[in-house]
Amino acid sequence: MIKPSVEKNVRISNLIDIRKLTNSAFVLRFEKHDLSFTAGQHIALGIPDIIDTREYSIYSAENDEAMEVLIKEVEEGFMSPKFGKLVVGQKVKVMKPVGYFTINKDYLQSKRFVFIASGTGIAPFHSIIKSYPDINYSILHGIRTSEEAYERNEYTAGKYIACTSRDKNGDFHGRVTDYLQQNSIDTQAIYYLCGNYEMIDEAYGILEKAGVKPENLKAEVYF
Amino acid sequence: MRLDYSGKKNGMKYHIITLGCQMNSSDSERVQTVIESLGFSATDNENDADLIGIIACSVRQKAIDKVYSRVYKWNKWKNKRNLLTFVSGCILPADKEKFLKLFDFVFHTNELNLFPEMLKNYGIVTPLHVQETKARPHVDIDLFWLIKPNYQNKFEAYIPIQNGCDKFCTYCAVPYTRGREVSRSSDDILKELERLVNLNYKSITLLGQNVNSYGLDKKGSEISFAQLLAQIGEFGFKSGKEFWVYFTSPHPRDMGEDVIQTIAKYKHLGKQIHLPVQSGDDKVLIRMNRQHGMSEYRKIVDSIRKHLPDATLFTDIIVGFTGETEEQFENTRKAMHEFRYNMAYIAMYSPRPGAASSRWDDDIPLDIKKERFHALSEDLRLETSAYNKTMIGKIYRLLVRDTDRKMGYLSGQTEGKITVRFKSDDLALIGQFVNVKITSAADFSVQGDLIQVLETKVVENV
Ligand SMILES: Cc1cc2nc3c(=O)[nH]c(=O)nc-3n(C[C@H](O)[C@H](O)[C@H](O)COP(=O)(O)OP(=O)(O)OC[C@H]3O[C@@H](n4cnc5c(N)ncnc54)[C@H](O)[C@@H]3O)c2cc1C
Ligand code: SF4
Repeated sequence: MIKPSVEKNVRISNLIDIRKLTNSAFVLRFEKHDLSFTAGQHIALGIPDIIDTREYSIYSAENDEAMEVLIKEVEEGFMSPKFGKLVVGQKVKVMKPVGYFTINKDYLQSKRFVFIASGTGIAPFHSIIKSYPDINYSILHGIRTSEEAYERNEYTAGKYIACTSRDKNGDFHGRVTDYLQQNSIDTQAIYYLCGNYEMIDEAYGILEKAGVKPENLKAEVYF
Repeated sequence: MRLDYSGKKNGMKYHIITLGCQMNSSDSERVQTVIESLGFSATDNENDADLIGIIACSVRQKAIDKVYSRVYKWNKWKNKRNLLTFVSGCILPADKEKFLKLFDFVFHTNELNLFPEMLKNYGIVTPLHVQETKARPHVDIDLFWLIKPNYQNKFEAYIPIQNGCDKFCTYCAVPYTRGREVSRSSDDILKELERLVNLNYKSITLLGQNVNSYGLDKKGSEISFAQLLAQIGEFGFKSGKEFWVYFTSPHPRDMGEDVIQTIAKYKHLGKQIHLPVQSGDDKVLIRMNRQHGMSEYRKIVDSIRKHLPDATLFTDIIVGFTGETEEQFENTRKAMHEFRYNMAYIAMYSPRPGAASSRWDDDIPLDIKKERFHALSEDLRLETSAYNKTMIGKIYRLLVRDTDRKMGYLSGQTEGKITVRFKSDDLALIGQFVNVKITSAADFSVQGDLIQVLETKVVENV
């Protein structure tokens, strides 16, 4: 058992499991120690002896006994390829979960949530859905090919829509923003947008124009 | 270079360069305390210094360029004379890697307690009276905060109460340079405040990157920001002294009604609120990852106007952020008039190394940014001018801060931090409260007649 690091906000955790999802995407599972969080929050992840850390949304549920993150290796990225080379038993630095991209629990019973993600931007939604199984939701996942529909079986059938831009094996051929433009928009739902800034910017514009109130639009920009 | 431990000044000199924001200036005051406790005396001339340090700011490219250009020069000097260099402050991991090769010492401010030990291990110095010198098993920002700062002013001081930021605005690198939010112990903060008030400090600013998220990282074991303000207010009441306490920079997300009500309740809590809006457009705020929209911001301002009708309102605004359309900029102009700011620190967007937006296309041409900057500055001028005119004929308490540019005048600030000048050449008034009757108002400053000096005590610093 590894003792928590002496730095207050940092824990050193053993890697318990690595799930390879595609050639470049994987889920790291590691010890959680005493770190509690609210679904939707993110941690900074590092490797002992390397100064740099990177932020990752927590993928696992609030009450899961370990913690998981979903990482996509960025070509020529500094840290993500290093995380991709880790093996079970190695250690990672985990910094206190933080963030505001969380669900207002008062609305869990009364509202419908529409989660719109690009790529690994699905991670916080996975955590939210696993943490609040009764949540009324649908997910629009913008990916290039259907193999990037990371662990889609984890979501209730019919509630997950893979929007694939480079193949036709998803549920919709095109980008999430194309989907939004071609389908009716529920203006009463609460929308959460997560991933790259271009997608968020475009989707926000479409939703706002359709009449969704700004206070019902939340976003987390990754890059 | 060999330093002799004598228990007195060692004849060695240090030169320190502080770049960046108020937080760095405040950190620098503590760094100077530690260096002076090692026997060094300050010098303004880097040529005379045996130890040269930079409190760096990786957040601004220009500041970081300055660090590199300086250290190359100093490293050349090392061929001719003994010289040690260090760098601390806000440093991105990528810069830290490079600095390790260029400077003799690289440390985060929370590692300052280890600096004497580092110097000692370098074989040159034994610390005099720094308390936390034993090699500690860990470094901790709390220890840094325990160091008594070398205050650079005799009546205005900053008290750091919080460090780091968890917000991740896309244009900002602070979360990457300063790390997670950490709150200082409220007991320490109150002790530092008490000491300053006893030294007759008149304007004290609580400082933090996200000052009003104070306590959130220690929920249950530390008081909230509103409670901290209340304790300060109670102390002010009991102290029988006159002073104003401010705070900067808050984030709208953490600006609860309780904070505003507490400010309303206590007279020592300055009625001036700095509430960064950054943009008046919801979509731009989303792109900035500000985690709040205009409706939330509006609610806070409404509450300020309700509970603090006399408070002045300051803000920060970025113009020309990536993708900012003409219409989105117009929304910022509307916000300027809607919220009737008394001051806005307007910045033309420039990418900051390490921030997410630094990888985006900086697509608003400089001439458009300049145009927007000027247009918004003009909007601000209209608002401040209108407000300042309402001051004419009224009496305001001023903290006299300096001589004015106009000969024979002194200048001071009201509780709402509006600058006022008045005719007087009595330099002893600097650092004192006076009452002034406003006689005329210009766009960004106001003039009045001195009607009463409220205190004549000589301020002694220790
Ligand atoms: C709040 C927050 C939460 C995040 N959560 C996740 C997450 O759950 N999973 C995840 O994989 N990443 C996530 N990221 C991005 C992550 O922090 C890193 O930026 C990413 O892993 C790249 O790091 P790197 O060191 O390899 O690349 P760097 O050397 O830092 O280079 C960054 C480059 O990678 C690009 N990039 C960053 N993230 C991605 C990505 N996910 N897909 C494609 N290109 C990218 C950037 O545009 C940039 O060009 C999150 C970022 C933030 C701010
Ligand atoms: S601008 Fe945003 S990220 Fe930067 S210190 Fe302020 S709140 Fe934190």
